[in-house]
Amino acid sequence: MSIALTMLFNGLTYGVLLFVMAVGLSVTMGMMNFANLAHVSLAMLGGYLAITAMDHLGVSFLLSLPLAFLGTMAFSWVLERLVLRHFYGTDDLTQVLLTIGLLFMSVSTVAYIWGPSFKPITMPASLSGQVQVMGLSLERYRLFLLAVGIALALALVFGLERTRFGAMVRACVDNRRAASGCGLNIQRIFALTFAIGGGLAGLGGALAANLLTIDPNFPLRYLIYMLIVVSVGGMGSVAGTLLASVVIGIGDVVGKYYVPQAGGIMIYLVTVVIMLVRPQGLMGRAA
Amino acid sequence: MSSHRAYFANQARWSGWEMAFWLAWVVAFFIPQSNLALLSQILIWGLFAVSLDLLLGYRGLPSFGQAAFFGIGAYTAGYLSKFGWTEPITGLLVSGAVAGVVGLMAGRVVRGLHGVALLMVTLGLNSLLYDFVQRSTELTGGDDGLPGVSIAPVLGIFKFDMVGRTGYLYTLAACFLIFVLLRALVRSPFGLALLGARDNPRRMQMLGAPIDRDLTLVMGLSAAVAGMAGALLTQTTQFVAPEVLSFQRSADVLVILVIGGAGFLYGGFVGALAFIFLRDLFAALNPIYWYFWIGLMLVLTVTFFRRGLLPALAGLWARRRKPAVDRPAQEVAP
Amino acid sequence: MTGLIRRQALAALAASALLSAPAMAQETVKVGLLLTYSGPSGLAGQHADDTIKVFQQRYGSTAGDKKIEFVKRDTTGPNPEVAKRLVQELIVREKVQLMIGPDFTPNVLASAPLITEGKVPTIIAGAATTGIIGEKSPYLMRTFFAIPQLVAPLAQYAYKTGARKLFVLVADYAPGHDAENLITKSFQAQGGTIAGNLRIPMRSPEFSSHMQRIKDAAPDAVFVFLPQGELTVQFLKAYSDSGLKASNLKLLGTGDITDEMLLDVAGDTALGVITAGFYSTYHDSALNKQLVAELAAFKHAPNVPIWDALRLIYDGVAAQKGAPFNGDKFMAFAKGRKFESPRGPIAISASNGDILQNTYIRRVERRDGKLVNVEFETIADPAMR
Repeated sequence: MSIALTMLFNGLTYGVLLFVMAVGLSVTMGMMNFANLAHVSLAMLGGYLAITAMDHLGVSFLLSLPLAFLGTMAFSWVLERLVLRHFYGTDDLTQVLLTIGLLFMSVSTVAYIWGPSFKPITMPASLSGQVQVMGLSLERYRLFLLAVGIALALALVFGLERTRFGAMVRACVDNRRAASGCGLNIQRIFALTFAIGGGLAGLGGALAANLLTIDPNFPLRYLIYMLIVVSVGGMGSVAGTLLASVVIGIGDVVGKYYVPQAGGIMIYLVTVVIMLVRPQGLMGRAA
Repeated sequence: MSSHRAYFANQARWSGWEMAFWLAWVVAFFIPQSNLALLSQILIWGLFAVSLDLLLGYRGLPSFGQAAFFGIGAYTAGYLSKFGWTEPITGLLVSGAVAGVVGLMAGRVVRGLHGVALLMVTLGLNSLLYDFVQRSTELTGGDDGLPGVSIAPVLGIFKFDMVGRTGYLYTLAACFLIFVLLRALVRSPFGLALLGARDNPRRMQMLGAPIDRDLTLVMGLSAAVAGMAGALLTQTTQFVAPEVLSFQRSADVLVILVIGGAGFLYGGFVGALAFIFLRDLFAALNPIYWYFWIGLMLVLTVTFFRRGLLPALAGLWARRRKPAVDRPAQEVAP
Repeated sequence: MTGLIRRQALAALAASALLSAPAMAQETVKVGLLLTYSGPSGLAGQHADDTIKVFQQRYGSTAGDKKIEFVKRDTTGPNPEVAKRLVQELIVREKVQLMIGPDFTPNVLASAPLITEGKVPTIIAGAATTGIIGEKSPYLMRTFFAIPQLVAPLAQYAYKTGARKLFVLVADYAPGHDAENLITKSFQAQGGTIAGNLRIPMRSPEFSSHMQRIKDAAPDAVFVFLPQGELTVQFLKAYSDSGLKASNLKLLGTGDITDEMLLDVAGDTALGVITAGFYSTYHDSALNKQLVAELAAFKHAPNVPIWDALRLIYDGVAAQKGAPFNGDKFMAFAKGRKFESPRGPIAISASNGDILQNTYIRRVERRDGKLVNVEFETIADPAMR
């Protein structure tokens, strides 16, 4: 029983990590119908920013997280204003090609700046090792991840439901034309949403640096997971992304434990089944 | 009635460009310095992209899983030869048929899916197949490739030689014949029905067109062509490994088609030419960072040639021609 | 007046130089170089290039009376379609007379028939599967390692040091399956039992389920075989994070998990890990120490299989001084050849061209502030005597 609970916990924290990385993509895809595959490059950027801050500026890990968030947010803002916004309204494939091109460029650029090898990250002692919680032996870092993830999820939900900006975001996701008709500045709202989403991806990347590993090929390895989480959850829905991430995270870890012969296919099986049964995603709007 | 027949007869006529295109491939064979192995692979990628064009360009269905059919054809050709059936031409047809049947089944599964959901399901199914093939080392040899693949000489006479001459002509002949059939198909009433379903499915349904049946059919056809492209690869290289089924390949062929231009049938070849030549060029220039240049090429293509290279080139040519006063509208825009 | 005399003198000198030049210009032996330079495995190719640079700095670009010229191509990873085409290009268009590579087993398998038909002696410096040298072509040789050379001695070491219940964890791909079979057979032949085995997916971001499986089986040692890269780094990290490392469970693996390229990235998680490898930068020989020092300028370890391939090529070509280069003569020279490599003594098997070398059991320790593989036991290849 304790093993099952531990596996559940591990899957949950993995899912939470995926959520932090992917939530920005879900909101921007739902709001502006813009498929930004380079989102996963933003996660990588956040990871590198955090590691660089720790290695070269002597910053502590905890402080590197907000730095990664802000740095990636700034970069996302610039990227959107300079490049991406010229492609709103074009068809899906154009956007896919454009952002894949940007993804490739990011892989090489990062290899050029930071070198082609993996980047190690050292955790402070307070976040290493294991701790006994209710009879279970749980990793401290995962507990930290869970705490951060829950805090972020709550903050996002609160932000969307209770703030004025959040209401504007929701309006744009639901019906862009009507929102614009009500006098909302769509361009500005989207730019800000994109920046925040990108910043969250960067934060996710910084958190992922310890659990997964950061190297220039990170986007190539994790693009599929981002796409899966966003489409299974339903585009535009924060709750949907959280649900999908948790389902996929738990499914992956628990699946690999109880049915190791199945290998890594659990994640694809879940995707295919859910997409066939509910093509708009778990919490997406029906077309 | 006769105007319809005249329309289709007109559509069937070969333009000077098309004839020049195919002749160029024949001429390339006789140029002493041509890299026949590279040109064969460009033809195979081109045919593969054409198979996706049927789905994407003509029926409007994007797919991240086309490599699955390519790989099914490739492995079928491999298994046939492994178990003694080494004759290439029949092997090619059987591989296409097997892939086509799987395509028909897939068509029924993805019926009703659009956009993102379709992309994710095709991606998922492709990944499942790849995972299975790669892990089942006893069945498929896994990453090391299927052992025991050897192909008999074409028509019993032309051995697959080291320089790649037989391979090139065989590939060219196969691509041309398949292309001629597809070209006739897309300019037939069936082709028009596909275009109609792509642009306005509801209206087609109201007209009574069997769009679901057509979708299944085009999926099967597209799969068969992709399977034959895969079989050509196995036969000309005498080797098959799981990477023929990889997501990387599915993504690459989508990029190739969109660069070349979807919906023109020739776009696949144009895209393959551009992509593979440039990829080789960038890799030779700077092997470490060539990804950057490929990415930049994609970004620039999308920015300046939004519908692809082929329509851009065609547009350039059209603008240079003297504007005619009276030219009957002959072309139906694909 | 002086100007005219000078010009005449120069003209005379030039004429005499031309007339007295040897009738045959210096022959160039083209060596094809097929490695991965881009993509996830691109580092290996770049390191190989640096090693070649150092070799040529020391020994020049002439062997005997022939000039050695490299023709490089990028296989972009395990990509048999591309590799086969590039081998074709190198043999048919570039007319290489020798070849190093391609790397990765599927690339080698796809290219073998071409190599045989082209009669080009080829040295494999980056593929470790059995069944590719010898059987696939008489023109193939290897300076890399073969998986059994590392796995079998590891089984013996495990048993000798008291392990009786072994947990086997491999990556789910062909070489992994081979290693799994080999270690199981070898360990059981010694008298041990397999406590459990696990094939993990190649794309495996999350390791906690794998670690739990190991804990469940309660083994006294764990054998690991993973391709170098993200998997090895994450495995070591997960092993440490999950508490297995602290439990003093013996971790045994092939040299891939503690390869110098990733040792610094793994950091302390690699300390104390015991591996069977064929080369360590800490190997105690003058030849090795000098090589490591020269490569230190490039900030990475030398690529010893490439170094030895060059050694073999230069010696083989020099042995044909005075006559045009002949591939079959080169094969006759190379097969059975013994020489000193930075890793220790090696030989090319006379029967099938595969590598014969010592296997070293090493432990990761920190020396002079750096993590290195310290060899503490040597198992000689019986075929070398």
